[in-house]
Amino acid sequence: MRTIAEINDKIRQRRAVVWTVEETKAQAAEIGVKAAAKQVDVIVTGTFEPMESTGAMINLGHTDPPMKIRSCWIDDVPAYAGLGAVDLYLGATMTPEPSIEGGEVIETRESAPLRGGGHVIEDLIAGKAVHLRARGQVTDCYPRATLDTTINQDTINQFYLFNPRNLYQNFIVGVNGGDRVLYTYLGPLHPRLSNAVYSNTGAISPLFNDPDLDLLGIGSRIFLGGGVGYISWEGTQHFPLQKRLPNRTPIGPAATLALIGDAKQMQSRWVRGCYFKNYGPSIMLGVGIPFPVLHEEVINRALVKDEEIVAPVVDFSIPRRVRPTFGLVSYAQLKSGKIKLEGKTIRTAPLASIPLSRQVAAELKSWILNGQFTLSESVAPIPRDRAFLPQDSWGGAGLT
Amino acid sequence: MKKRVTLTFPQRTIQMPVTYRLAKDFNVASNIIRAQVAPNQVGKLVVELQGDIDEIDAAVEWMRSQHIQVSLASREIVIDEETCVDCGLCTGVCPTTALTLEPETFKLQFERSRCVVCEQCISTCPVQAIATTF
Repeated sequence: MRTIAEINDKIRQRRAVVWTVEETKAQAAEIGVKAAAKQVDVIVTGTFEPMESTGAMINLGHTDPPMKIRSCWIDDVPAYAGLGAVDLYLGATMTPEPSIEGGEVIETRESAPLRGGGHVIEDLIAGKAVHLRARGQVTDCYPRATLDTTINQDTINQFYLFNPRNLYQNFIVGVNGGDRVLYTYLGPLHPRLSNAVYSNTGAISPLFNDPDLDLLGIGSRIFLGGGVGYISWEGTQHFPLQKRLPNRTPIGPAATLALIGDAKQMQSRWVRGCYFKNYGPSIMLGVGIPFPVLHEEVINRALVKDEEIVAPVVDFSIPRRVRPTFGLVSYAQLKSGKIKLEGKTIRTAPLASIPLSRQVAAELKSWILNGQFTLSESVAPIPRDRAFLPQDSWGGAGLT
Repeated sequence: MKKRVTLTFPQRTIQMPVTYRLAKDFNVASNIIRAQVAPNQVGKLVVELQGDIDEIDAAVEWMRSQHIQVSLASREIVIDEETCVDCGLCTGVCPTTALTLEPETFKLQFERSRCVVCEQCISTCPVQAIATTF
């Protein structure tokens, strides 16, 4: 029908027709799949949700005399320093370790909101200055032992997000069948099945609209945090072999993607540090994926409705790897605000922002219409055959 | 009319059945929004008084004469719309459904009159967009 090269020519000439995934669903229902596929060149999807396997690579630049950093804290949040001399990796969920060297210990109550790695990343993207403290290993090439300074995004060389697991294709719904409040990565779950939390935006979520990942791969250009990013690899815990419905959508957590993008181009509006009470800090991220309409089947896949996709309801009161489930519910039920479990009506609340997800798609659409964002051919597909291995230790030394 | 007030009871008035007196003597219905009352301690009550405007005024006057501190300003939930990301997590823990998502736009809506200021939403909000006034 059309190739990516042809679509890009149209984008450069500002003649490309771009629909958000919601516009596509509405248009196709009205004019039919054939006519829709003829008209539209690109379908854009977006999401805005917590994605905790996110982090920033930073190259600090060399001090004089130079230093091989082995331990580092940015605004008291430890950053990994076991790479090159001044390469650092700051993870979004890392919690602060207050400085005791300065003689001042900052008390943190267990329930007080913590400013973690995600908040520091947000501040750096916003152009704010952050405090950096480091200890080095003194060697002949790197004689310096300590560093105490202030950095911002303009005083460091590289600053890019390199996220090992973003963009989950489907997830779970959390409930609590126990008798005390549980503080989870889905927020507080109240006892005796008082609330249910879902964290995927359903039918507008990018990977529900390309369930077999036919239209993207390593090297696909995307919207990441308000800047341009790329799909760099399969994500950690990528599990394409999850059970699927006849429409190919998975019935639980399935594919994931690793993403990369220049944080200096990003906007703090789309990269937000967040904190879940008694669980810890994390980060919310806006990610947008464009799908080229190469053939009619692309439209067919993008027609999926909330009624046709499901997620498992998982009881967090059993703190085991495999938790009991209450079966599957549809995203139409979840978005209605209540579900029924064991005869009881339970309020549901999302954790992904549907309004901001829509705005990501709208933003990416305007980039393409303006001719400033073209699509890229992927250089390799995302694997389709990864198993989901548990970590079971057998016969550990000394444990008999 | 309805009037929301915060009552602070000194220790010696804590035994007084205030809501009963308001109803019997002033024909004022008091809907308790929030209460913190324990023996031999200063008590706090946030109530919504409903009745005739003159009788509410008279009731407030009478409570003050009984050394009950009556404050017309009461603690309220405020949402910083700049910070809020409309994730909706707070709507699941709000016991009175004062916080809901608009069914079409999924934007957060706050119906102040339903709020009992339980403050569960404050610590639930992942971006700390919710706080109370004073």
